[in-house]
Amino acid sequence: MATRSEIYSIRGGERLLWVLLCAPALGVLAFAFLWPFASSVGTSFVREGTVSLQNYALVYRLYRQDVAFTLGVAAAGLLLTLLVGIPVCGLLRIRAFAPVEFLLKVPLFVPFVVVGHAMRIFLAPHGTLNGLLLPLGILDPDQPPSLAASWLGLALALAWKHLALAALLFLGAFRAVDETYLEASRNFGAGALRQTRDILVPMAAPSIAVACILVFASMLASFSIPLMMGRGSGPQMLMIDVYYRFGQHGDYGTASALGVVAYLLASGAALVYVRQLTR
Amino acid sequence: MSANSRAERTRPAQGARRASLAALTGKAVALAVGLFVIAGPLSSLIIWSVAERWNWPSSLPQVVGLRYWSRMLTGDFLVPLQRGVLIAVIVTVLALLFAVPLGYALARLRFPGRVIVLLAFLLPQAFPQLPVFASATREFYRFGLAGTIPGVVLIHLVGALVFAVWTMTAVFRSIPGQLEEAAMNLGASLTRTFVGISLPLAVPGVVASALLVFLYSLDEFTGTLLIGAPFITTLPVYMYTASIGYELQIASVTALVLMVPGAILLLLLERVLKAEYLAFFGQL
Repeated sequence: MATRSEIYSIRGGERLLWVLLCAPALGVLAFAFLWPFASSVGTSFVREGTVSLQNYALVYRLYRQDVAFTLGVAAAGLLLTLLVGIPVCGLLRIRAFAPVEFLLKVPLFVPFVVVGHAMRIFLAPHGTLNGLLLPLGILDPDQPPSLAASWLGLALALAWKHLALAALLFLGAFRAVDETYLEASRNFGAGALRQTRDILVPMAAPSIAVACILVFASMLASFSIPLMMGRGSGPQMLMIDVYYRFGQHGDYGTASALGVVAYLLASGAALVYVRQLTR
Repeated sequence: MSANSRAERTRPAQGARRASLAALTGKAVALAVGLFVIAGPLSSLIIWSVAERWNWPSSLPQVVGLRYWSRMLTGDFLVPLQRGVLIAVIVTVLALLFAVPLGYALARLRFPGRVIVLLAFLLPQAFPQLPVFASATREFYRFGLAGTIPGVVLIHLVGALVFAVWTMTAVFRSIPGQLEEAAMNLGASLTRTFVGISLPLAVPGVVASALLVFLYSLDEFTGTLLIGAPFITTLPVYMYTASIGYELQIASVTALVLMVPGAILLLLLERVLKAEYLAFFGQL
C-alpha cells in the first residue's frame, strides 16, 4: 500500500472538470454492468408480471442436480489444482527451476475458449490422447473412453487453465516465507516435500485459502470451457443452463434465478475482494 | 544458506556426485512430465491444424499438409480477424481514455464515494459474468445495441475498464508525490500537474495496460457471443462455431492464431510484467 500523504483537494471549475473526466468510465460500468446486474436480480423474483418465487421453485425442480454437479466439478477441479500446484510450487520455492516455472505460466495466456477446444480434441474418444495410448494396447479401439464429455474431463480442463493462476499465487506466498525457517527444517533433515508440508503450507495458509476461493468461484462460473467441451446428456454446468434457458427458451426469469444462485455460490470471491480493498 | 553449503562441503565427493546425478534425473523427469501436461493438449491443436486426413484408429494423421492453413489465411477467416482487431483498437483507446483520469483521481484525490467507486469496479471480477451479460443483452436490445459493433465494444469495456482502472490507480500510486508537490508549490493547478508531471511518468504503465486490454478484447468470447450474435463474429466466436460444427481443422488453426498475441506478450513482457499484470492473464 502506498503512503496516504499525497492526497490533494480541488475546488470549483477544476472540480467540475475532473467529475466530467471521470464520468464516462462510471457511466459505461453502470449501463453495461451494474444496471443489468441489478435487473437480473430483480427479474428473478418476477414471473408473468407478478412478484413471486416461482422462478426459484422451477430452479429447484429442474436444476438442483445441475447445481450439485457444478459444485462437484468445481470442487474436483480445485482439488486437482491443489494436488499438483502445492507440491510443484513447494519444490520450485526450495529448488528454483526456471523451465518448469515457465511451463506453469503458459496456461495464463491461453484463452478459455482455446483451452476448451484443445481439451476437447485432446480428450475426445478419437482424440489425441487416446491416439497416443493406442499403440500401448491398453484401450479398446472400437470403444475408446471419452474423457472429454465426463465430469473428470471438465475438472481436468478447468484445473489445467487455473493451475497457472493458482501457481502464481502459491509461489508468491511461498517466496514470502523467510528462508531461515526452511533452513532450520533442512538442518533436521527435512526433504523438499516435508518442508512444503510442514513449513510452507502452514505459513502460507491465508494466501492459499484466498487462492482456493478465487479458483473455486471462477470454476463454477466457467462458461466457455464447458460450452466448448460439450456434454451429450446428464447434468450440465450452471452457466450452460443459464445460456440455454436465456437463449433457446427465452425464459429470462428462470435464467436470472439461476444467475442469482450462481452469484450466491460465488460470493466467497466477492468477500475476498472486498476484504482486500478495505484492508 | 551458509549452514547448507557447509554441510555440502563436508559430504564425501562421491556422494555429492551421486546426489547431483539424482537431482539432474529429477529435473529431467519434472521437465518431461511438465511438458506432457502443458504441451500435450496444445500439441493437439498443432496436429489437428495440419491433419488433412485422419482416420481412427491411428496415432497420427495419415495425410499431413498446410491446406487448412492456406485456406484460412485467404478465406473467410480474415473478416472476423479484422473485425476483432477493429473492436480491440476501439476498446483499448476508450478504456485508457476513460480509466487514466479516474485512476489518477482514485489514487490522489479524496472525494465522497471513493470506496464505492473502487468497489463497483471490483464487481465484474467477483461475480459470474454470464448471467449479467445475458441481462445486458436484453437491455441492449431496447437500445438497438445488440448485434452491433458499439454493443460489443460496450460489453468489452466492462472487463477492460475493470483492469485499466485498477492498474492505472496502482501506477499513479507508485509515482512519488514529491514531484507533483513541487509543481503545485510553484503554482501549477492539479490538472496542469497531472498533464505535465504525472501522466508522462505513467507512460510505461499506460502502455502495459493498453497491451493487456487489447489482448483481453481480442480474446473475449462470452460477451461477444451474447451481444454480437448473429451479426458480429470475432475470432473466438468463429472458432466456437467451427468447433461445434466439427470443422476441427479450421477451429484448431483459429485457436493457434488466437494464441499468438498472448504468447508474444508473455515472452516479451515476462521480465517486465509485475505479478498483478500476470494475474490478469488468468481472466482471459
